[in-house]
Amino acid sequence: MVSKVSKLFRGRLVLFTGMLLWLTTVASVQAEETQPERVKDLRYGWALYEYHQGNAFEALTQLAVARERGGIDGHGDYPALVEGGLMLSWGMTREASRVFTQLLGDDGAGSTLAPDVRNQAWFYLGKVFYLEGDHALARKNLERVNGDVLAEANHELFREWVYLQARLLMMSPDSGDESKRISLQALLEDTDIWALYLRYNSAVSTLDAGDSVAAEAELKKLISIIDPPSLADEPDRERQGMLSRARLSLAQLYLRENRFEAALEVLGAMSLSGVYVEQALFAYAVAAARQGQPERALDALDSLSNRELFSPWRQQVPFARAYVLEQMNKPQRALSAFKQAADHYAARIEALNNTRARLSEENLMAQLEFRRDSDGILTDSFGRLQVEPVDFSIAEVLAEETFQQALAELNELYQMQSFIAERQARFESFRVMLETREQQRRIRIAQTRAALASQQADQWQQLQQAFSEKISAALAEEDARFFMTSKQKALRERLDQVEATLAGLPDDETTASQRATYRRMRAHFDWWIANDYGVNRWDAQKQLQDLDREMERFQSQRQRVEALMADDARHDDLAQRITASEQELESVGEEVSNALRSARQKLLHQVDRMLEARQEEISGYLLASRHAQARLADQLFQESQSAGASNE
Amino acid sequence: MADYLRKQLPALIVALLLVFTASVSAQSNRESGNDDAAVAEQVEALKKKVIRLNRDLFILEEDLLFPANTQVAVFVSVDTGKFLELDAVKLKVDDEIVASHLYTERQVTALARGGMQRLYIGNLKTGRHQITAFVEGVGPEQRPYKQAASLEFEKGTGTAALEIRVEDRSSNYQPSVSILEWE
Repeated sequence: MVSKVSKLFRGRLVLFTGMLLWLTTVASVQAEETQPERVKDLRYGWALYEYHQGNAFEALTQLAVARERGGIDGHGDYPALVEGGLMLSWGMTREASRVFTQLLGDDGAGSTLAPDVRNQAWFYLGKVFYLEGDHALARKNLERVNGDVLAEANHELFREWVYLQARLLMMSPDSGDESKRISLQALLEDTDIWALYLRYNSAVSTLDAGDSVAAEAELKKLISIIDPPSLADEPDRERQGMLSRARLSLAQLYLRENRFEAALEVLGAMSLSGVYVEQALFAYAVAAARQGQPERALDALDSLSNRELFSPWRQQVPFARAYVLEQMNKPQRALSAFKQAADHYAARIEALNNTRARLSEENLMAQLEFRRDSDGILTDSFGRLQVEPVDFSIAEVLAEETFQQALAELNELYQMQSFIAERQARFESFRVMLETREQQRRIRIAQTRAALASQQADQWQQLQQAFSEKISAALAEEDARFFMTSKQKALRERLDQVEATLAGLPDDETTASQRATYRRMRAHFDWWIANDYGVNRWDAQKQLQDLDREMERFQSQRQRVEALMADDARHDDLAQRITASEQELESVGEEVSNALRSARQKLLHQVDRMLEARQEEISGYLLASRHAQARLADQLFQESQSAGASNE
Repeated sequence: MADYLRKQLPALIVALLLVFTASVSAQSNRESGNDDAAVAEQVEALKKKVIRLNRDLFILEEDLLFPANTQVAVFVSVDTGKFLELDAVKLKVDDEIVASHLYTERQVTALARGGMQRLYIGNLKTGRHQITAFVEGVGPEQRPYKQAASLEFEKGTGTAALEIRVEDRSSNYQPSVSILEWE
């Protein structure tokens, strides 16, 4: 029996953590079976590296950085598709919807993406809205999917798509949708697990509408499809779970109609190791008691109370047990059982009071076991945390979609808070970096100034100015001698020396020939200078212009260096960006703290609501137990009085 | 009183049926309240802000620490990784080890799916530099595999981006490692 119980427990874990998230576990956000294309943009490659590790935040940041740095080249619309997928997986459904609509167009055709890729984008978007309970947006997006293309590309998704659409039609208040739903359902084989879920939900809807005959027929049909289990082509556990569920529902329907024999027959066929065994045992006890078989009822209740783990169904057992004993005409035992039941319920109420009073995030988290790997808590494709209850009593609330969402939000907010704290700590180092950068700049400026000084720039400028003035004056005076070449100047010097030598000699016959030669040479020299004046002047002017140009360039560079040295714009810009980012970080940090408070309250409120409902239910049993106690005590007293009187 | 008690069991059945109906909605959606939606929208708006903020801080940090004229970044890619199960990469720039990384299973998968890891970002002066990558892992037939690749490159005044590419070489069923410079 013990081994059966633990097997059952594992089954229930699967139920609570798996079944309600059934929709989320079929496929990941993007089909990745094909060989990846080599990236043509480094930043995109980096974003993909984060994306494939499930680091949505880092990947989204890289895509945002790429956009800021000029976009991603060579990958068409795929980066936007990846971004939309990342947003979906990080719970940014509205933003993802905006990205997809912008990318794919309202008709789903306005993009270079392949039709099957577009289809999957709409499918996943619709599915996320469905899970969030936004039926209008879910329907809108699922209707954009081309069923034929999806069936061809991914039949698994196609079946799920049919299921989601049919469920939305089922929940729609428009009665005209019924025929659409039937035609959709016809696209699935009867044995398809999605068709089974649809049939089950259809039975429930029919029952809600008050048509128990149709609901009974639907449930019987469902049972006949699943049983025998050899027909199963899906994981057996899921089908067996569905079979148990259908049988239990049918039995409950019979109970409601006081058809106890039929209920006992259906419940008797249920496996004792199934997921719904506790509910089945209780229903069995009810049916047996009402059928006039209190012993069988008592057996079922005993089996139920012997279960090791807590189940909401067990809290009804003490009262029901006492009731059955009374039905068996054992008033003494029944009185004692009612007393025990009352004590049990009073203790449970007290325990729940304590639990509610002590309810805190810490206590709640202690009841949850998160699945982790070396990189942190594992999530599914839609960002929900993979979590199991440590205390099975909270499995009920854990199974709720809203609780799962709130839990995921809380986790994300904590991650944001940790990001903000980590970034805030880095601002100090940012400042140090900026200061270091500024110091290095100052050092470089000092070095540059020293280098400029060593160039003696001012002195060179004065020389250039003086030279320029001299040339201008020579030009004005047409001073041919000024523009002589070096060779001419050397020759003039030698002529001057000859002239000086001749001046020291007697001017007579002995020097006449030399003086004549000198005059001839001097005349020739003067003629040469006059003749070369134009060429020499032009050459000097050209040299001067080249010098002017070089000096101008030098001055311009010098001014630029001076301007750079004087300009702190870059430093100021960085400093401003640091300050602005720090302020923004602080502001976002406050918002995150507020959101954390809200998310925490929301989460605890949900748990408290569940505990309150459980408390109210138990209070009902407590009241009924005490009334029964009083009534039985009264009855036994009167019986003893009557017996005494008759003895007298 | 007896009547009251007799009414209890049918009440339990009703409770059962209520739970039954509730359990059905396990397959259906639950309507979220306005408060829930408000928190969800608030969280979504915050996420947008945090992404923008992280983007700005990321760019600021790059501008501050790695100015464009000196920046050099080295990426790692794996194509397709059938002949090598990547274990670790070590990087030397001008004979100095500047980065090393041990890969987790998730990171290896991300690389095999087309992702590129930024292994290193730093600053280098303009001029010629040598970069050497040492790749370790498990090669064909589960044998330890080590290979190095080197590249001499000219660092100009713009950012430099290099890629350590681990490829499968179908000609000899061996992995190969090379370093490429991105334009």
